[in-house]
Amino acid sequence: MNDDRFDVIGRVTRRQDGHAMVTGRQLYSSDISLPNMLQARVLRSPYPHARIAAIDTSEAERLGAVCITPEDVPRVKYNERQVSVPAKTYRDRTVLPDKVRHVGQGVVAVAARTEALADRALDALDVEFESLPAVFDPHEAMRDGAPQLHDAVLLGETVLPIERNIACYREAVEGDVARGLEEADLVVENEFTTGRAYHGQLESKAVVCRPEADGGITVWATAQSIHNTRQLLGSLFDIPLSKINVQRVPIGGSFGSSIQMNSSVAVCVALALKAQKSVKLVLTREEDMYDHCKYPSNIHLTYGVKRDGTLTAGYLKTVVDIGGHNIQAYPLLGCMAGWFVSLYRLPHLKFEGTAVYTNKAPACAMQGYGNPQVTFAVESMMDTIAEELDIDPIDVRLKNYVGLGETFWGQGPTVRSVIRSCGVEEMLLKGKAMVGWEGRGSSTSKTGRFRRGIGVGRGFHTSGTGAPTPGEVIDYSTAMVKINEDGSVDCLTALMCHGGGTLDAGAKMVAEELGVPLDRVGISPSNTRSTGYDVCTHATRGVYCGGASLLRAAQDVKKILFDFASRIIDVNPDALKVRPDTSRGQGVVCLPGAPAKRITVAEVAKTAQIKGWGSIIAVVSHRQVNCPPCFVVNFVEVEVDTATGQIRPMRAVAAVDAGTVINPDLAAGQLEGGLCRGIGLALLEDTTYKPDTGELTCGGYLTDYKVYTAQDMPSLEDLSTFFADTYEPSGPFGAKGVGEAANNATAGAVANAIYNAVGIRLTEAPITPERVLSALTRDAEQLQQGR
Amino acid sequence: MMTKRRVTLTVNGEHVEPLVEANALLVNVLREELQLTGTKYCCGTGQCGGCTVLVNGEPILSCLTLAVAVDGADILTIEGVAKPDGSLDPIQEAFLDHGAVQCGFCTPGMILMAKDLLAHDPSPSEERIREHLRGNLCRCTGYHRIVKAIGSCGQ
Repeated sequence: MNDDRFDVIGRVTRRQDGHAMVTGRQLYSSDISLPNMLQARVLRSPYPHARIAAIDTSEAERLGAVCITPEDVPRVKYNERQVSVPAKTYRDRTVLPDKVRHVGQGVVAVAARTEALADRALDALDVEFESLPAVFDPHEAMRDGAPQLHDAVLLGETVLPIERNIACYREAVEGDVARGLEEADLVVENEFTTGRAYHGQLESKAVVCRPEADGGITVWATAQSIHNTRQLLGSLFDIPLSKINVQRVPIGGSFGSSIQMNSSVAVCVALALKAQKSVKLVLTREEDMYDHCKYPSNIHLTYGVKRDGTLTAGYLKTVVDIGGHNIQAYPLLGCMAGWFVSLYRLPHLKFEGTAVYTNKAPACAMQGYGNPQVTFAVESMMDTIAEELDIDPIDVRLKNYVGLGETFWGQGPTVRSVIRSCGVEEMLLKGKAMVGWEGRGSSTSKTGRFRRGIGVGRGFHTSGTGAPTPGEVIDYSTAMVKINEDGSVDCLTALMCHGGGTLDAGAKMVAEELGVPLDRVGISPSNTRSTGYDVCTHATRGVYCGGASLLRAAQDVKKILFDFASRIIDVNPDALKVRPDTSRGQGVVCLPGAPAKRITVAEVAKTAQIKGWGSIIAVVSHRQVNCPPCFVVNFVEVEVDTATGQIRPMRAVAAVDAGTVINPDLAAGQLEGGLCRGIGLALLEDTTYKPDTGELTCGGYLTDYKVYTAQDMPSLEDLSTFFADTYEPSGPFGAKGVGEAANNATAGAVANAIYNAVGIRLTEAPITPERVLSALTRDAEQLQQGR
Repeated sequence: MMTKRRVTLTVNGEHVEPLVEANALLVNVLREELQLTGTKYCCGTGQCGGCTVLVNGEPILSCLTLAVAVDGADILTIEGVAKPDGSLDPIQEAFLDHGAVQCGFCTPGMILMAKDLLAHDPSPSEERIREHLRGNLCRCTGYHRIVKAIGSCGQ
């Protein structure tokens, strides 16, 4: 796919950081080693809920270890997620706790010369726990008399008492849902659940901290926001930000797992400050699994619909089991409302969300931030409505989807904007033809042990969290672009790449704007001392928001370039253009139609330096005032083994409306990866707990947790991707995001495919063989009893 | 304190004699003693394939292998896959050309598995590639482009 409007945008190019990754030269946090560095380990609670009665570190210290206990660390209550405005940030944790609220929570940390010595020191610690009754089910946790995890937390600076373990509640109402349901010809309702999936990023979280001679610190951490990490460390440890340098380090997969400053970062810093030596802390896989998981969902969903398929009302009620700490479930609930109301037009709507503490690992954002959970329920219901009204499921979607020109508030009630680009219809119709929708047959026509079915799911994600008015979420990026004296370009930003090619896309935008060959545009290493603020690379905002800041800086730089060039070649700067000259490997500033009026970018920059005009450089802080939806459509074909309940994904078509696609191969890669994780959410992934001990059933093992392997995915021939042909007016070069959208529609498509195969609506994800078998058995019994 | 032993290894063509403890894992010796951090520690329990290296031409999980157990062996890590002049191996080129790399953390293990496969089966079927990679997890790509890249190297 080559777009004639552009030189590099939309063309398949090799990612700039790829060479380092295929040769083993890419350095991640766990690869950082410093002279005289100590290795840290953390003693973790074996209890799901316990008071810490006594800690004795004397034996560990006798072995030469540096130890920190809750007594040694700041008592400041904080929230590790720092993307909301302070007044809307719930704070319930400290660097080390005086009471543990889930198995695996860190209590005491040690640092020693070697990992083996640190392990011995860990064994030598003596911690006395007073076990407390624990609660693992959110509904039980809300009952009177249930064990209380928190008495009070802080909301902003206000003390907020916690009752019945309810961390927060959120409601959204428009119109009158009761009236809307009365006006309906058909009312459908059902209950849906999704699991506490584990991020499963291949790099377990790591951090290195070096105390500096000036009392400051330098930190290399697995993090999606170096600036938020710095600000939080500054407030926790009372160090001026000018003395805290957080380095941007490549991340070994994220999926939201490091939007927050991970708990191990503050622990490592506390150890390093006490030891006055560099300290490294790398989580084991088991520790990582006890650190975070995806927000699970329990959704009760009701729709009212007219006979012709027009929705009259929607009512979604959800309870979210957030685990032992609140990593900002309040914006999560706002987004869940947003995902719900922005999928399909609802004249009357209601959303109620309750986030509840339980004695499990804290849940946090994971690809979609509540979106795959809500969309699983909504897309399942669209098929139920279609079935009940005998309308094609695609037509129900086409009739009701929120599209071009309509108001949308994906990121919650305070983030509203109008949709200005939309490829929903194109994707549904093209995908329908590609997958052979018309030939899929009905479930009643399918017999035999192995039954195949095709399902559709659609969805979207927002490109960032920008809005015309300031809301609850902070969203802006800062970028610096500078043209070097040889005509090459440096781009400096705190934006991250999690693997999807965000920074590569930024380099392409700058190359396109400045007319400089792509291989002469570099992304500079960055840290908090040399960059302006960037909120975080999350919310599918990298290309749309971060890219836009780079583009704006490039536009400013271009003005200076033309101003300097005009002085040299005596042409009005407004008449100048800049184009890449591949034969010279240079950008060339020129006056179209006047061959004599040409000068290379390098000559302009060098002349400006020699004559003392200054550097060609610009810094821009940029906030997008929109967060346009990147729409997705998935068609999935599954095969159900009715004897074992096993489900295999056989074939899929995945499409995204990402506006202008910057790098087609990398964008398609996002769709393929998102599909794989989406199928995992639908069929495989959950972290369950042993009710007697509060330990993970999988024991922290990936093989017992289970993620898909290369053998489980559809073959190359059976997996297709494509892009809608759209242009987003507010996006850099017309681009929107892809990221999270890629997995939002998948679980719904899978559930609908299962229905098409066996005629049973499965609503509990993961849809495991056990759940399939029990549903098949129930169905057969009901058939025998004549329903 | 445990007694240390000297082991003799050829790593990426270079003769080395690190002094290691009897219980030292190969992954740690490679990463910490020899500063070859391209080999990744991902799960530490042999479940994800991220730490794969080739020992005498065969893939092994370096997080489950004692360094003393491979005394005298010839080891290839990701750092030794490109030619000494820095030019990339065709598998590395294919990974870049097919967009098979996202976060890059599983990439070293995947490339070494691919080298092993192509050494034994120069033109593997797609099914064979998927079967060969079944112990190597990737969370980013859904494996699609990795399979495609390796398939493109077939003769």
